[in-house]
Amino acid sequence: MGWRIGHNGWVIWLTLILGLLLSIAPMPDFMEIGRPLWLAMFLTFWTLALPHRVGLSTAWLLGLAEDVLYGNLLGQNAVVLSLVVFLVQSLQQRLRVFPIWQQSGVLLVVYGLAQLVQLWLNTLTGNRPPTLVFLMPSLVSALLWPWVYLVLRDLRTRFNVS
Amino acid sequence: MAWRFEDETIKRIFSKGPSLGVRLLGLAVLSASLMVVDARFDYLKPVRSELGLILTPLYWAADLPMRAWETVHDQFSSRTEIIAENERLKAEALLMQRRLQKLAALTEQNVRLRELLNSAALVDDKVLVGELIGVDPNPFTHRILIDKGAKDGVFVGQPVLDASGLMGQVVEVMPYAARVLLLTDVTHSIPVQVNRNGLRAIAVGTGNPERLELRHVADTADIKEGDLLVSSGLGQRFPAGYPVATVTDVVHDSGQPFAIVRAVPTAKLNRSRYVLLVFSDPRTPEERANDAAQAQEEADRKAAASGTPAAPVSPGSAGTAQPGAGAPAGQAPVKPGTTSVSAPEISPATQKKPAAPVQAPAASPAPAERSQGGR
Repeated sequence: MGWRIGHNGWVIWLTLILGLLLSIAPMPDFMEIGRPLWLAMFLTFWTLALPHRVGLSTAWLLGLAEDVLYGNLLGQNAVVLSLVVFLVQSLQQRLRVFPIWQQSGVLLVVYGLAQLVQLWLNTLTGNRPPTLVFLMPSLVSALLWPWVYLVLRDLRTRFNVS
Repeated sequence: MAWRFEDETIKRIFSKGPSLGVRLLGLAVLSASLMVVDARFDYLKPVRSELGLILTPLYWAADLPMRAWETVHDQFSSRTEIIAENERLKAEALLMQRRLQKLAALTEQNVRLRELLNSAALVDDKVLVGELIGVDPNPFTHRILIDKGAKDGVFVGQPVLDASGLMGQVVEVMPYAARVLLLTDVTHSIPVQVNRNGLRAIAVGTGNPERLELRHVADTADIKEGDLLVSSGLGQRFPAGYPVATVTDVVHDSGQPFAIVRAVPTAKLNRSRYVLLVFSDPRTPEERANDAAQAQEEADRKAAASGTPAAPVSPGSAGTAQPGAGAPAGQAPVKPGTTSVSAPEISPATQKKPAAPVQAPAASPAPAERSQGGR
């Protein structure tokens, strides 16, 4: 009964927690500047695949968790991730039929917007990155998207998540 | 099946109550109010702390590969390497012991001079050893996470050191972890003075882990390359006298109102794995003097009662103070010989204890045992 709501939901949560882990995993200094937005990418995939399971509230709660992990103001990443999921959900009908490279292009814009909001909020709290490098993570994420998409889709079909 | 799945999906999407935009707006407003409350008030601190308790294992897990790598590396590093390291450490230990002997003499002298001055300032601070468990993922902030938290008595504003100098201060405390803001973060400043001549200045972080800058140093000020900057203790936050940075650059630009002074932190901010958390004495000088006087009286009375001349309170008896004597018990027992950096059993309760026989002027144990701070 593949269509049953709530089948193998633990896979979703596992990948999202993996996303949280990856977003704080230690990295060499020179790569730190382009750390991919893992959580945003995983949320994007599940929002596209299962919009009835993963939505704004999931994104918001995960954002809160990320805030606590990063030591930001509570709500900062929450609002950013909600924005990402909002944009993806409103583009969902189109994004689902796009070829993967075109999805990457759209997501570059979406993540870029999210990073801009992040920049504004960071400026409010007092630490502003000096240059345009704050957009780097969105570029890296967009380039990584095809692989993330393929791996997660494979996971989804293998565990028959719905 | 597929048809029914799509049907279910579509029904779910279109049957939701408020529209997507409204829900985003709601969440955004909620986030904004959370941010404002978090920034301005203290209500959310306990919530944060509890959430931190749940989420700290994530940091621990993220650090696992690193630990595993280190363990493997340790396992397979060759015998000669280990022998060489052992030799080096022995030599280092010898050097340190020599310095410690000198320090012992100096400490003793300092105690005597303070007795003459009738003040009983704490000669040595207490320390707790913490281990780095995570680095802030945001490359534009310099913060680290350590494995000691509220349960170990860590508090916000506590100074953090490594073996070679000041590292920063605690900015957030969770039950089993704490976040430390490093000296080089752009939002951090520390009052310092030049060790050579006592010139005061403010060292501001630049966002570069290898650089601090001194603000508002007059062009004619006596400061030059190679000067050691130590904490001045003026901000009431950091204890005085710990090394902070070494001046690398002094630029006199006639177009600028002040000299441009750059310095490199002495602490290994991006290499240290072990950090020291300092517990300085929270009492004011008056309170300290009072406590010292009380402890002295107590000691005199006891001495009179037992008929023996007033003997200095030995470190052993400070630890095992008689409960009936009314002496402030509970002081962290100072075991003779604990001159190393390991003093991890210090609880906040013992910190807050008002009087300390060990600190009383008359009660001066052997200086080597005093320096449990292990500097």
